[in-house]
Amino acid sequence: MPKLAIEDLHLRYGAVEVLKGIDAQFEEGSVVCLLGRSGSGKTTLLRSIAGLEEPYRGAIRIDGRPVYDAGAKVNLPPERRDLGFVFQSYALWPHKTVFENVAYGLRLRGQGKADITRRVQESLDGVGLGALGARYPSQLSGGQQQRVAIARALVYEPPVILLDEPLSNLDAKLREEARIWIRSLIKRRGITAVFVTHDQAEALAIADQVVLLDGGKLVQSGTPEDLYERPATLFASEFMGTNNTLSVGVAERRDGRALVDLGGHRLWGVDRADGGTPAGKGVIRLEAVRLAEGAGENRLPAEYETSIYLGNQFEHLFRCGGQTVRVLSDRRAGPGPHWLECPPDRLWVF
Amino acid sequence: MPRSFRIAVVLATALMILAPVGLVVYQSFLSGPFFQPSSTFTTQAYAFVLFEEDDFREAFVNSAIIAAGMTAIAVPLGCIMAFLLVRTDLPGRRLIEPLVLVPMFVSSVVLAFGFVVALGPVGIVSVWAKGLVGTIPWYLYSKTALIVIAGLTHVPHVFLYASSALRSLGSDVEEAARSSGAGPFRVALTVSLPMIMPSILYATVLVFFLGFELFGLPLVLGDPERILVLATYLYKLTNKLGTPSYDLMAVVVVSIILVTLPLVYTQRKLLAAANRYVAVKGKASAQRPLAIGAWRWPAVGLIVAWLGFTVVIPVSALVLRSFLSTWGEGVAIWPNLTLAHFRELMGYPNLVRGIVNTLLIASVGGALSVGFYALVNLALHRWRSRWTALMDYLVLVPRAMPGLIAGLAMFWLFLFTPVLQPFRQTLFSLWLAYTLVWLAYGMRLVSASLLQIGPELEEAGRVVGARPAQVSRDVTLPLIKAGLVGSWVLIFVTFVREYSTGVYLLSPGTEVIGSLLVSLWGTGAVDLVTALSTVNLVLILVGLALMFALGNKRHA
Repeated sequence: MPKLAIEDLHLRYGAVEVLKGIDAQFEEGSVVCLLGRSGSGKTTLLRSIAGLEEPYRGAIRIDGRPVYDAGAKVNLPPERRDLGFVFQSYALWPHKTVFENVAYGLRLRGQGKADITRRVQESLDGVGLGALGARYPSQLSGGQQQRVAIARALVYEPPVILLDEPLSNLDAKLREEARIWIRSLIKRRGITAVFVTHDQAEALAIADQVVLLDGGKLVQSGTPEDLYERPATLFASEFMGTNNTLSVGVAERRDGRALVDLGGHRLWGVDRADGGTPAGKGVIRLEAVRLAEGAGENRLPAEYETSIYLGNQFEHLFRCGGQTVRVLSDRRAGPGPHWLECPPDRLWVF
Repeated sequence: MPRSFRIAVVLATALMILAPVGLVVYQSFLSGPFFQPSSTFTTQAYAFVLFEEDDFREAFVNSAIIAAGMTAIAVPLGCIMAFLLVRTDLPGRRLIEPLVLVPMFVSSVVLAFGFVVALGPVGIVSVWAKGLVGTIPWYLYSKTALIVIAGLTHVPHVFLYASSALRSLGSDVEEAARSSGAGPFRVALTVSLPMIMPSILYATVLVFFLGFELFGLPLVLGDPERILVLATYLYKLTNKLGTPSYDLMAVVVVSIILVTLPLVYTQRKLLAAANRYVAVKGKASAQRPLAIGAWRWPAVGLIVAWLGFTVVIPVSALVLRSFLSTWGEGVAIWPNLTLAHFRELMGYPNLVRGIVNTLLIASVGGALSVGFYALVNLALHRWRSRWTALMDYLVLVPRAMPGLIAGLAMFWLFLFTPVLQPFRQTLFSLWLAYTLVWLAYGMRLVSASLLQIGPELEEAGRVVGARPAQVSRDVTLPLIKAGLVGSWVLIFVTFVREYSTGVYLLSPGTEVIGSLLVSLWGTGAVDLVTALSTVNLVLILVGLALMFALGNKRHA
């Protein structure tokens, strides 16, 4: 049985449909990322799970027990869902000390005084803030506030913790450390975590399961490798990674392979027609294109345009049959004709 | 908060608002007092007041003229002063700015006494001027003087809205105009002020509306020449026909509300528009004051002259008069200084009670009122429901009721309702009337601090397991505590200053300084009036000092 199940969830704000029927299942102990652009409905979905938004159709079950079920008219208020929630702004109560912020959930659960002190201390130690219990949130740095928010959400040991872009308020360096730290903390506790982000690199780094949303619908759900290497739709393949999206003529589709025409040159690729998007797009990740020495199988002649120096490598821009192709390489390139190789298993044809 | 509790609070508030108004409307269609069984339904009171009563027509026209006139004075002056004090490098602007708001905190009836004592036919300044030029070059009891004084004392209302709008305007728009070659006053007229038009429009409607509600100034300054306005007409009506004519009074009240309610409604719409306007360009970063060069000195002169005329002259004359044993032409000041009036004041038990009651109703009553406003606000907080919209409109009703009218309606309600009758001559009736009159104001004070709480702070409480009531108690209330204390101080000053609400509720046990002043003025006891006014001013000063201290503490 999945830890958390979402069934045909619909939600609207006034006349605007925000969630248009979401189905998803999250396994116990896994870290799930809800990934999507702003307005895709990912935060709304997270808030619906917490009971902070009210859907109008569908169901949400935790351990098979409905916390929301439109059919059975079940809608538990947030305080009875027993979840942990980490807000994007952290939402630490400015009038309570760090200790009191964390202790509040335990007090509401009628714990004894000694018990509360012990568990809050454990929880703060767990996030590396054991010595700061007497401070007020305004006396902490952004990274420390985030840790307090996580400690507050975990202290009463909820079976599921929800995190709404918890890293977006940290600077770039801190964010990369926090990714690893949060993932190992959650894994150590063995709880289920649902994580909202618009940053695909963050999703790939933290998640066991990535759920890609667009326009209030689920696009694809799978492991980070699934999403990055086997995107199901044109949207998914363009959303993940950095890509060359080329307009191509499809000459032939056969046995899961497709032959395309680009400016008079023939290339083989993987047939990824999903029926939904209009045909005639070839997608290849920047890092998959290779600079080749001469003509050959699945190679294109290209005219050099310009280069950008990125530090660890170069990004070269070429013109190919009237379209721009970007290539990553650790070699310099100069003006003149070049050959680009697109490996057939990494060129996805829609 | 549970839904049922929210609805109960809304219903109770609705009852508190609608019962007095409903009673007045009901009374306006009766032939006699509502408590007389022989009264029958009729519209004869309307026919009499609207078509036969010349005084009413005159009062109505006067109100309209005075409201329009004072608006024409207050709005331009308020805008200019806001621009000068907020956007330019005027010398001493930090010092002057808080002083501009002082007339808002002084009861207008006290200010009116001050003008009489200073500028009346035997006023302190008048006598001095006469000694200088042989005659008094002005006449205080004319309609023109009334309009000018009303206009000048309402400058702060315009200033308040115009200055806060100007503050949220980025100075880049002005600098752009300066660098295209516009002088400072051209910048004000063509850039800054047009950009805050919605706020100015709002303040215009507000001042016009306050003009219709005017009571203290025309009561004191209009009386000698029998210049009646709507509120003073209502007040005189009590005695005009010998017996209190409930039906006629009710009709006058209904007419006033019918004028003010649309104005209040327009204001509400304008405020929403103004807020939208500000939000669009709420970029208040790095405001640099505009250098206005040599214009600084005439500008300071203008503001100081206004301040001197509207605050310093009347207030100091009033205070001085309260320490003078007598005053008239040829009376010297120094030999006549005395504390006798204050000693006399202490000899009247009702006056002493008035001072004690004022303090009680302002401090304890004010705290209870803020508690009530907070309760209503919490009941409506983050509640998307038709009830909230209903409440939004209900709050407009007490706003449309000047204090005099609300006091009258409350007085009748306590006469009419058997359960309330025993409380009629207690401070409770007065407190209820005060709370009702300042409902919209108090609600806005409290909601301003509620609006500053991010919704996620309360959501975080819910998620960790707190019920709505626990969130209110453990998160919301502690967070608005400072805001509530600030609101209480403002309400304290407001209640100390209030004079019209208590006029009809005045009875042994419910005296307050404001209503005592109104009734004492009628008897011509100038010595007592000035002494009591001085006491009132001191109490207000205490409130303002408290506000200042709290403000400083919050900054620290």
